[in-house]
Amino acid sequence: MDILDYIWLGIQAVFMGPEAFSFLGVSVSVTIMMVLAGFLFGIVVGATPGLAGPFAMAISLPILISIFGYTPDALLPVMGFLIGIMKGATIGGAVPAILFNTPGTPDAFMTTLDGYPMAQKGQAKKALRIAHFSSASGDTFSDIVLFVCAPFLAIIVEAYLDLPEKTGLLILSLSFIAAVIGGSAGKGLISIGLGLLAVYVGTGEDFYPRMSMGAEGLSRGFPITTAVLGVLIVGAVFKELEEIWRSTGSAKPVHAPAETGDQKLHWADIKNLFPTIFRSAAIGTSIGALPGVGSTLAATLGYTVGRARHQKSKSDDAPDFGDGAPEGVAATEAANSAVSGANLIPVLSLGIPGNAAAVFLILAAESIGGFNPGPAVFRFSPDVVNPELVIAFGIFTCMTIANVINWTIGGVFMRSMGFMINIPKTLLLPAVLLLTLTAIYVQETRLEAIWFALGFGVLGYIMRVLTISPLPFVIAFILGRSLEQTARQAYSATGNDPFFLFNSPIALIFILMSVAVIIFSGRKSKGAAA
Amino acid sequence: MPEKSRSNLYVGLFCVAVALVLIFIWIPLDTKTGIVERARGKFVIGDALAPTVAAGFVLLGGLLLLVFERNAEDQPALGPSKIKFVASVVAVIGVGFAIMRFAGPAAVEVANLFREDPLEYRLLRATPVWKHIGYVMGGTIMVSGIIAIVERKMSRRAVLTGIAAVVVLIAVFDLPFDDLLLPPNGDV
Amino acid sequence: MKKLFVAAAAAVSIAVSAVSVQAQDWTPPGPIKLMIAFAAGGGADTQARLIAAELENRLGWEFIPEQVTGKGGVNLLLEMKDEANDGTVIGMVVMESLGYNLYTADVGLSPEDFTPITTTASAQMGIIAGAGTGWGSFDEMIQAGKAGEDIRFGVMSQRLGELAYLLGKAQGVDFNIISVQGGRAVLNGVTAGDMDVGFMAGIQGPGVAAGDLTILASAMSKPLNQDPNAPLLKDLGVDFDGDAIFMFAGPDGMPDEARNAIAAAISEVTSDPSTEVGALIERAFGGSMNLQGADLDEVVMRNFNDSPVLIEAASQ
Repeated sequence: MDILDYIWLGIQAVFMGPEAFSFLGVSVSVTIMMVLAGFLFGIVVGATPGLAGPFAMAISLPILISIFGYTPDALLPVMGFLIGIMKGATIGGAVPAILFNTPGTPDAFMTTLDGYPMAQKGQAKKALRIAHFSSASGDTFSDIVLFVCAPFLAIIVEAYLDLPEKTGLLILSLSFIAAVIGGSAGKGLISIGLGLLAVYVGTGEDFYPRMSMGAEGLSRGFPITTAVLGVLIVGAVFKELEEIWRSTGSAKPVHAPAETGDQKLHWADIKNLFPTIFRSAAIGTSIGALPGVGSTLAATLGYTVGRARHQKSKSDDAPDFGDGAPEGVAATEAANSAVSGANLIPVLSLGIPGNAAAVFLILAAESIGGFNPGPAVFRFSPDVVNPELVIAFGIFTCMTIANVINWTIGGVFMRSMGFMINIPKTLLLPAVLLLTLTAIYVQETRLEAIWFALGFGVLGYIMRVLTISPLPFVIAFILGRSLEQTARQAYSATGNDPFFLFNSPIALIFILMSVAVIIFSGRKSKGAAA
Repeated sequence: MPEKSRSNLYVGLFCVAVALVLIFIWIPLDTKTGIVERARGKFVIGDALAPTVAAGFVLLGGLLLLVFERNAEDQPALGPSKIKFVASVVAVIGVGFAIMRFAGPAAVEVANLFREDPLEYRLLRATPVWKHIGYVMGGTIMVSGIIAIVERKMSRRAVLTGIAAVVVLIAVFDLPFDDLLLPPNGDV
Repeated sequence: MKKLFVAAAAAVSIAVSAVSVQAQDWTPPGPIKLMIAFAAGGGADTQARLIAAELENRLGWEFIPEQVTGKGGVNLLLEMKDEANDGTVIGMVVMESLGYNLYTADVGLSPEDFTPITTTASAQMGIIAGAGTGWGSFDEMIQAGKAGEDIRFGVMSQRLGELAYLLGKAQGVDFNIISVQGGRAVLNGVTAGDMDVGFMAGIQGPGVAAGDLTILASAMSKPLNQDPNAPLLKDLGVDFDGDAIFMFAGPDGMPDEARNAIAAAISEVTSDPSTEVGALIERAFGGSMNLQGADLDEVVMRNFNDSPVLIEAASQ
């Protein structure tokens, strides 16, 4: 069994898996249909202001698990659907941004800066075409980097990192996430600390459920869905509802500007845009590969760098960034779409989720079982088939399929989504809340889970109001148990050496880097405050 | 100009206080094995270590806010109107789920007044109509109640949205799957 | 625990013959809540779900499976103890949950607070080393340990940790015992080289067949199917065994009628290799083990009562 065999098995697992239907004698597998459905659903959700990809992933997960069950066969269809949503939502977000100056997803905000002026000039369709082309290019670039890097990184990690070093790496990731998300190291650390505290309730090695205050409801700990969906989804819905409540009456019907002139994307346009797209795709990919740094930052950075280049090189009569420059749309969309693929590098090679979409992929793997994202996945065992590796290559195949769908029908479908802006959030969000809570209940089947989710929702709301990013909380919740277990194992493995983190040079470097990251960003935010 | 928010100061103080309570009171009292314990002739890591480290993160974060970021620009404020809003939404959800929990069993009790052989809701939790009573009532009240809060008025549109949401969710979660239990049917 | 297997063999024949009659005498008054103490997607979870699916097919009973994991099955037992005892709530655990784990958890409960229903199978528990260690037998590992090599020993439950400690003590080697969550984590640790050796409950099958893993000893009270010549724990100076036996139980006071009907139904599907679950059990465990009734009560109780003896031995 060498690499090529595994890649072939992964592709087969997708194409030869359970059949959905056969068309002209060609059988179409369920997984392919799920990627397609997820992708289209993702575009719809992305085009709906107030809803974003992670949310759609969150609510689909319990339904998908009910359909496909807890078997290894379920992994690829479910993950394929989620990957489809992840990719579709990114391009869907550009639709209302361009047509109505309202970003459909947070990372499409920068798209409004040039997309909407383009639409006002009558070039709405062209702006949408540019957005789609840049987005699909960024996505493809990012996926290729993922396919190449993730297996190598994983193999290096497995070969050179022992238990103490793995502990150090987890600590470094958490420190990095605390330092970079949200721009305040203090708030990042609080978010991480609270997430860890939450996951440590009721768990542990002893039979007494720690920190449960003897309450039976807490003795099993907080289920992961209640914490993740509570903080990320319920909290976000509370925040949106509150904003609508404060601005009641200001919602007016919106109309897309009329279109004039040539709306086609010509080869000459593509040639002009190519450097911008490539630059932004590279930026988005490098940003995405770092855990915790999301697509919003990638979009901002891609846009800023694009603007600097554009001012130097543009001809005099071309519009500036902010006045409807096609390069502005391309710079943003290529960057934010390049994040999703690269973000799976830390997920698949280290088991560390970098953004909310990755969180839900890990949640899916954890709920279904049989696939534990992490370095152990890329074990090229020569004699026995490593099923997890087949799944990993199956996931790569799904991403490629999503890419193909994106290039072929993505643009047409996306351009038809303009009407989603008219769905009133006031009615949609409460229904979404019931849907989220129902989805949690269906998985946990006890009302305590609802109360936990509400509690986490209030926490998520307060954190958002105080600009404490909830993402470090969620990532810490997911990594908390493996951090504790790896540390315990490293301690036992080294013959109960209390200084195991400092006796190995690599682990020591990781720890020093963690401290440095926190100090550096702490000083930076002091500088910003002064 | 409104008074400048000092939320970083308050958040910092709050986190430091919570972390200290956790580290010195709650965690030591509410874990069985301490930071380290002796087992099989060796010292091993106990259940208190990880939460103590986590509380240490909160403490450190709180201190950073107090020391470095106390006077940062644009500090957001958690005003009473926001607290009141979120409290009322949570209250409506709480009422909705309470009704969800007890409407089904109550309906069974009422039905039992007219029956010779009494029914038991627990055994009916997978039987159509009975199993939907709580979800339909509680879900509708929850959704339309939240819409009413946000729109500052109760409208027919809010109630219809609630009913529509409940019907759609039953169609999504309940009709296709035998194994799934809508709330509250896993608790009865 | 030799007696157990003799009793089991006897029980199987009785059970199978009695099935069809009993299963018809009783039908559950409502849907049955099936609590599963194992992580979703794993082998044990699959076994439980397949049993439920097969019984739904055969008898028309309705099952609603639910994961209640954590604390070695004690979470499930605590959750189950106050549930209805009319046969509409059952749980799948390992016997260790009602034994060592329930004893150590110190929650004021004993097996008498539950109704054991039936066992399904006994896991092929072995002591397995990674091929990278180069050890061909148990003795070679001990020699390496005595020569000063650090040996990392992976275990997936506290009780197995005690056994590893006792084993080291009996052999004069101080193992670095690493506890992990779940059997797959031991397999991954040993394959990745993070651990040298560990307890594996049947998951080692393909790896051993392919030569990536080496069987050093059987941790059961009987030889392993895959290597009948590997030494048993009692040959290596440990008086306790690592038998991991899957079983169903219900809340205390379940009527005999319900208990026997459920036991008979489960025995019937698990011992029939033509069913999906029967085939799984045949493949993974070499056949079902359906111990029930008073015999099962006695074994479960003895398991529980042996726990303080093991803890005492391991604390010296």
